[in-house]
Formats: sequence, C-alpha cells, structure tokens
Amino acid sequence: MASTFEKMMAVYEGREGAGIVFQPRIKHWWEVTLATGTLPERYQGMYLDEIYRDLEVTPREVWVPGVRGSAGYLSLQTREGDNVEVWVRQHRGPPDEGEPHNYITTEYRTPKGTIRQVERLTEHGASVYNVEYFLKDLKDIEVYKYVLQERSYEWDQRRYEWGKKRFGDIIPLRVNLQRSPLMWLIVGMMGFKRTVTMLWRHPRETEELLILLENEFYKMLEACKGKPIVELHFGDNMHQDMCSPPFFKKYVIPFYKRVMPKVHEMGMYATSHWDGFVKQLLPLVKETGLDGLECVTPLPQGDVTLEEMKEGMKGMFLRDGIPAVFMCPWTGLKTLEDHVRKLLKVFAPLLILGISDLTPANADIERIRFVNGIVKEFNESL
Amino acid sequence: MTDKKEEIFEEIRNSLVNFDVEALKKAVLSAVQNGVAAQEIVDAMSEGMNTVGKKFEGGEYFVPELIMAGETMKEALEVLRPYMEGEAGGESRTAVVATVAGDIHDIGKNIFVTLMTTAGFKVIDLGVDVPAEKIVKAVKENHAKVLGLSALLTTNLEQLPMIVNQLKKEGVRDVVKVIVGGATVTEEFAKEAGVDGYAKTALAGVEICKGWVRREKA
Repeated sequence: MASTFEKMMAVYEGREGAGIVFQPRIKHWWEVTLATGTLPERYQGMYLDEIYRDLEVTPREVWVPGVRGSAGYLSLQTREGDNVEVWVRQHRGPPDEGEPHNYITTEYRTPKGTIRQVERLTEHGASVYNVEYFLKDLKDIEVYKYVLQERSYEWDQRRYEWGKKRFGDIIPLRVNLQRSPLMWLIVGMMGFKRTVTMLWRHPRETEELLILLENEFYKMLEACKGKPIVELHFGDNMHQDMCSPPFFKKYVIPFYKRVMPKVHEMGMYATSHWDGFVKQLLPLVKETGLDGLECVTPLPQGDVTLEEMKEGMKGMFLRDGIPAVFMCPWTGLKTLEDHVRKLLKVFAPLLILGISDLTPANADIERIRFVNGIVKEFNESL
Repeated sequence: MTDKKEEIFEEIRNSLVNFDVEALKKAVLSAVQNGVAAQEIVDAMSEGMNTVGKKFEGGEYFVPELIMAGETMKEALEVLRPYMEGEAGGESRTAVVATVAGDIHDIGKNIFVTLMTTAGFKVIDLGVDVPAEKIVKAVKENHAKVLGLSALLTTNLEQLPMIVNQLKKEGVRDVVKVIVGGATVTEEFAKEAGVDGYAKTALAGVEICKGWVRREKA
C-alpha cells in the first residue's frame, strides 16, 4: 500500500494505481466553530493536526492568516527595501451603522510617497477583506513600483524545518506564491473595478506595473531554486467575471507561458486556485501550461459539470472537487455520495480529493469521515 | 432637425457602446445645443446601454465591458446634469439590492446591479454585509418594487428567511418581489426561505424581474 506521500507524488507525476488522497481544508471550520463555541465536543482541546488525525484524512496547508495563525510552510519570506517602512496597526473601526469592527491599516512609507490599505476582519476574525486598496491612482502606482523594485525574497530554512517536522513525512512540500499579476492587482492591490478602469484609461502605466509584478515571480523563483519544493501554488482566485476570457488571453496565458517553463526547469510542478465561475475559462487553461488546478467548484455551486472540468483540464490534475455546500446538513447524504463516487470515477488518478474550496463553518464535520469511507473503499478496489 | 437629431442619437449610442467618453460627452453637448430635451438624451444613452446588455448576453462583452460602459455613461450624465433640472423624470421601477449581513462578496451583485440599470430599473445598491433592518428600511423608504439579495457563504443563508420575515413584520412583504442569488443558494433553499424568485445567474435574475414588471403593467 502506497504512503500518502507516494500517492500524492503519483498524482503530480500522472501515475496510475497509487490510490487517492483526501485532503480537505478544515482550518476555517475549526477557527469559526472555536470562536462561536460550536466546536463539537469530540474535538475540544485538539490542535488542528490532531483533528486531521482523528478524521483520518490528510492535512492541508493553508496560508491565509487567521485568528489562530497560519498552517503550512511559509518558507518564502518577503524582505522590503531599506527605505521602505511598513506600518501596521489594528483598530476598532468607525461604528457607523452596525457593530464596530476590527480593522487593519497598513502603510508603505517610501521616499516616493506613502500608500495605504485598510482591511476589515470578518465576523469571527477568520479572514480579512479590503475596504480600501493600496492603489487608487497613478501616483500610488509610482510608489508601489518603488516598493517592488526594492523588494526581495528569501528562503527561510528555519520555517521550512518547522513545516517539515509538521507535515514533511506525510505530504510533499508546497510553496505558495502570489496571484498571477492581473489577479494580484484585481484581488490584492487595486480592486476589480479600478483595475478595469485603469487598464482602460491608463493602459501604458498599468501594463508597466503588470510587467513589474511579473518580475517579482522571477525573484521568487530564484529564491526557490534548488530547494526541496514539489509544488508551487499561485493563489489566483480565478473567476471569469473578474478575469474575462479576453483578459485571460491577453494577460494570464502569456504570463504563465513565460513562467511555467522556468518552473518545470526547476523540476517543480505548479497549480493555480480557481474558486469562481470558470466555464468560459476552462477551455483555455491548457494553454497556461499549469500542471493542476485547485478548487474548481462543480455544479450546483460552481458553473461546470465534472465532464466539462475533465475536458478542459485534459491531462492536468484536480485538487478538491466536492462543492462545499454538499458538506452542509441540508444536502442529502446520497447527493454527496453520488458526487464523490462520480468524481473519483471521472478524475482518478489525477485527483487529490478535497472540498471546493473549504469546509464551511456550518458544515457537518462527520461528513469528512463519510467521504473518507468512500475513498478507502475506492482505494481498496484498485 | 429630425435627421440631425437622429444623427446625434446615433453618435450617442455608438460612442457608449464603444466606451468613447469624449465622443459621448461631445455628442451630448451637441444634442443640448440643438435643443434636444435632456430626457431624450438620457433615453438615447439607455438604448446604447441596452445594446451593451445584449452584447453581454450574447457573450461578446464581459463584465469589464459593462463597467466601462457604466463609467462612460456616468461621465456623460455629469455633463448633462445642469440641463436636467426642472425636467420631469420618466417613471422608473425601483429595486433595492444588497449582499446580506456577514457576507462581503459583491461581484455577482454588481453584475446584477449593472444589468438591472441597463434594463431600466432605478437601482439602490446598499453594498455588502448589509443588516436586515437596513435592507427593509431601504425598501420602505424607496417604495421598491424589487428586492435583490445576494449570499455566497453557507453561514449567511439564514439571513434570507430572516429578511423575508422582517419585511412581513414591517408590512411591506406584499408590495415588493424578492429575488435571491449566490453560488450556494439553491432553488429549494430559496423556496423554503419564502422568496419570490431565484436565479443562478445575474442575467437570469434580471429576466425574472423584467417579467414581474411586465405582468404588473399588464
């Protein structure tokens, strides 16, 4: 019987017969149920890793900061330039019409000027979202260009060792990179509407910034060179309503066409996180050269059938595939079972099974055990 | 004058469909200078937006194009604003739209807002993470005919029946049609929540709302 590590390597390498690994994200569920006092008694007092062990499923690295820190390796560290000061403060926000919320204000102070973003913590502090983006106009872009030019990345051996101790014998090392340049701007730096209007009104300046963002990846790849990394992950949050097919063709495919050969030269694999509606983008994904996709939510939560996913991703592997809503008590168990069996049939061996994209806070966690039973049965039949 | 007017209207429609802000502003001013009523100019722009909506439906345009068209029209309306005072506006159907409390996803909602606007609705967009009380208050104050609610997180679906109950309590449930959308909302859940309509996509949602208005007119 292959180990979990071997099974996952078989997925990367496209080999058959090793068996399927079930690697659901449960950190968000754990954090929110802890915050709301609804964590089932069985899991009280357990670390996240212990819950994974109790459920007999494979732990999943998650880098998103939450109230209880991060999970995963975080081996790649960002170092800002000597003249770039980063000021962060957390504060109770203006109690306008509802409850006051916690906000995080971050400022980059540079000789070229200052840029600022304000994030708001979600209800239970398990995530944040932007209420103010760093880049609001051309002047901010100039400041950010300076930040990028001065920025470097380095491998953090100590954190890697920590991660290896925690996960290394079970799962191959995966390192998270930024979103690809267009999605980096849309989701992280500028917001969707402003990115669209800036590309429309100021194409030269905005496209110059996209080139600088791309250069950041070459710096990141340089820092990863020679390290024991198996998978590089682009946290794209791809969604066709933000990144339309024309945008995808103009900005995303060319980026990946330039980057992916370098990833493969380094002996690594790469994946991207697609957690929105993607029906119009899937027929284009092969052109990126990516090895696999994470999330890709099928119907009824997403907008694609399993067959459409398989067709679009021909030869690529899928991580996840169970719509999160199927983990909620109001979806019948038979619906969940039928879906999982079909998913295994359609995607194995190119599948690392998981929930698209995470276990909801109000999920019935015992469904993880239920799915695991189906996976075990499938693996035994191989 | 009629030929000249039609020529200007053509320019207005085309420049809007092609997101040419300067050409649109110029055409709007030209229309004003030729004595065309502000409301007629707005109608010509709405026709242009309608074409944009059709191109979106047909898969020729995508959300970025909707945004560009919306921005183009907004700038042209600013040019026209001084001439609009004193003119009576046309009858409009008001829709209140919001993403429910605890949820900050807004892309689907924003598409719905843009498409509803192009379909001739006056849209009050309350934004994201909106508490039930604020939604119901907006429905009452604006005499809304349609309430569009978006929810993406499974943890916030409970807001939907809660808002419906709040509408009942405030005595406005019978005067407003409620439509819901969002990836995790299913038709079954929508039915249980007691709403009037459910749509998988923003476009389908707008069609349902247009149907309600048509039936009401008939």
